Amino acid sequence: MRRKNKFIFKWLRACCIVLAILFVQAAQAQVDIKSYSIKNGRMFIAIGKKLPKDSLQNFIVQYELADLDLHTCLRTGSTDSLNKLGWKVEINNAEVFVISKALFSVTNIDDPGDKIIFAQNPKTDSQPNTGDQGRFGYNRFKNKVPFIILDSVVRFFLRGNTNAGTVNLAGSFNSWQPTALQMRKTDSGWIADVKMGPGKHLYKFIIDGDWRIDRDNMNTENDGMGNDNSVYYKPNYLFNLEGYTSAKKVVLAGSFNGWNERDLLMQKTSSGWKLAVFLSTGTYTYRFIVDRNWLTDPGNPDKLSNEFNEFNSVIRIGTPYLFKLDGFLDAKQVVLQGDFNNWKDDELFMSKTAAGWEFPYTLGAGNYEYKIKIDGKFTRDMNSGGNTVLVIDPNFTFRLKGFENAKKVSVAGDFNNWTTNSFAMKKEGDEWIFKAHLYKGKHRYKFIVDGEWILDPGNKLWEQNEHNTGNSVLWFEPDQ
Amino acid sequence: MSTIIHFSPYKIFVPILLLLAISFPVCAEKYPDPIPVAKLFQTFAAGADSCIIPFSRAGNLILIRAKVDTTEGNFILDTGAPGLVLNITYFRNYPVTTDINEEQSGITGTVSAVKKTEIGKLAFDCVTSNAITADLVNLGHIENVRGVKVFGLIGLSILRQFEMIIDYENSLLYLYRIPKKNASAFKSSLLKDVSAYNTVPIEIWNNKIVTRTMLAGKKLRLIIDTGAESNMLDSRLPNKIFENVEILRRIKLTGAGDKKVEALYGNLNNLTIGNQNTGRLPVIITNLEKTCLADNSCIDGILGFDFLSLHKIGFNFVNNKMFIWK
Repeated sequence: MRRKNKFIFKWLRACCIVLAILFVQAAQAQVDIKSYSIKNGRMFIAIGKKLPKDSLQNFIVQYELADLDLHTCLRTGSTDSLNKLGWKVEINNAEVFVISKALFSVTNIDDPGDKIIFAQNPKTDSQPNTGDQGRFGYNRFKNKVPFIILDSVVRFFLRGNTNAGTVNLAGSFNSWQPTALQMRKTDSGWIADVKMGPGKHLYKFIIDGDWRIDRDNMNTENDGMGNDNSVYYKPNYLFNLEGYTSAKKVVLAGSFNGWNERDLLMQKTSSGWKLAVFLSTGTYTYRFIVDRNWLTDPGNPDKLSNEFNEFNSVIRIGTPYLFKLDGFLDAKQVVLQGDFNNWKDDELFMSKTAAGWEFPYTLGAGNYEYKIKIDGKFTRDMNSGGNTVLVIDPNFTFRLKGFENAKKVSVAGDFNNWTTNSFAMKKEGDEWIFKAHLYKGKHRYKFIVDGEWILDPGNKLWEQNEHNTGNSVLWFEPDQ
Repeated sequence: MSTIIHFSPYKIFVPILLLLAISFPVCAEKYPDPIPVAKLFQTFAAGADSCIIPFSRAGNLILIRAKVDTTEGNFILDTGAPGLVLNITYFRNYPVTTDINEEQSGITGTVSAVKKTEIGKLAFDCVTSNAITADLVNLGHIENVRGVKVFGLIGLSILRQFEMIIDYENSLLYLYRIPKKNASAFKSSLLKDVSAYNTVPIEIWNNKIVTRTMLAGKKLRLIIDTGAESNMLDSRLPNKIFENVEILRRIKLTGAGDKKVEALYGNLNNLTIGNQNTGRLPVIITNLEKTCLADNSCIDGILGFDFLSLHKIGFNFVNNKMFIWK
């Protein structure tokens, strides 16, 4: 059997060499070659040495090859980084550069659980569904304009279905009552007016008794129980850029969408550009990208410095939390930094008061960590010895009974990136507690008692982890 | 459509069932407001020989509400799974009746422990299975990616006695129990119009649905799998096959234990299943050597949601036939 495998291996190697020669011939005939192919179970990339830089860049973007750093390899001739990534240089001459790599399998698809994960649709977002915290959203409709808003009333519109007998609208705004809101027929569809506050609202149409998502609304959400609903965001903020009417494209990028440079296309108006969005309580920084040029919002005086020695525009929604530091009146500069501003140390400068330092900063519900830097040196939290934890609007209490002799107990989970000591629990009576803000959906966590990680003895649900020690499992459903 | 239920004891309920099937929420809503209708429907369907099950989806996976003994929740319909698979997180108190090492992969020598248990009853709509063996596995990673509570997988052996038709467009699953008497002649009412669909032979291999076809003069053996969102093709197939694949980009797939593996994503052209050309079919190209058995027999690929959702599709697991609507 081993001899047979050896023979097959040799035969495959011979094939690869023949193929490589063929590649050379093809490449020499056409020096601007760029191709990605598969032969004998291996991936082959062939690039002509005279390929223009922008053409190579397009190739890298198209096939998602940024980690290969092909520009440097071709410029310097060094292929060490490629070798480290498992690529083999087949040909590297004056005309052409050909590399190959075997495709490996790591998953046994006879295991149904692994197979399902392995065979996910690569086009869909595979990020965990954390119940979409609903902190930011905008409407994406196709085939119809966004719902009309008059004051606090939103006019829901179902396109077509004019042959239906009755159409009702049910959603989170009317407790999903199927008959509470009957829609009115128009020439082109059905309408219903709903009074609602800003934010995220879920809904469905009931067409002759048949529950249907809004097929013209590209925002849908699975509720964690397997049911899809349409999502409507009633906006509470209008981004507005006056002028620039000759620009081809204006994009909005900010902390609310991870500074994505493509997602949020603004709509052209007669005098400029606009985009209506919903933003929950919090502080957000943003800029406009006008035909690839980054721009601070000229209509917004509130701004903070950024790492490019320029300014980001700022929006604050809600009541600010007042960060305070007592004393240190001799200090020259006190800076607040935390996970809420990506730990930037040149943005949130605290103001001196009679008793110390303070800084108002608006934050939405959640768990945060921060530090204060005094003249370049960090303060240390008295409890955790590390970052200070701030929980805004706690909605769940972790409880661990017993362990009365323990000196230090904390809880760690996906909600704090499994940080060991940050969520220090307090002793109350015969139990240890920590009040956190959890998002809807599944959470995995463990308690840490004097350095020892343990499952929650009060929760029978747990699942195995990569260390074979298990994590407790919690499905959190916040009060609506 | 007028004779969905054609078994005589239920004939009188046909109009009612039709009405209920139409009025039942196709994508079940978040809150169970149409409870009276749903309950009525289930009352008629319980123990019946056929049923129409509205399903919801997690991504492109079919979710069905089912009950195992006293535990009720979402199960994924997974024809790629051999039988009932339970998420051990929610069935930890079940005794492990078998804890054997099953060699799942011949050429790689991969060995994995499979925990098994016995359940009293599995029930969903017209399907009831008593005293069956189930695999106990950790399905937490599916929950973590999809954000949906998954109690288990309903695999092929649960469906073997049924004619099953999947209508992704309307999110409906049709199940018809194939009677033991004249089983080979059985056809549900949906299959009466033979001009509406093509019939393709299938076989059951290693507890999976397999269809055979040819591409570029080469034989292909493909698994039909509702538990796979993407179609997959083995990277080790002959080069001629890949002349029909337009590679779009490199992707990274996550396998067991969060291990990443490179794969290619592209479009497969010129594939025909039965007499039907599948058009431009999205496909992931990866190494499927771990599907091989000890006798070196392997599968060449998987047809998942991207194929199954193209047309209404049906299966008769007694006659080993697949029906693809035109």
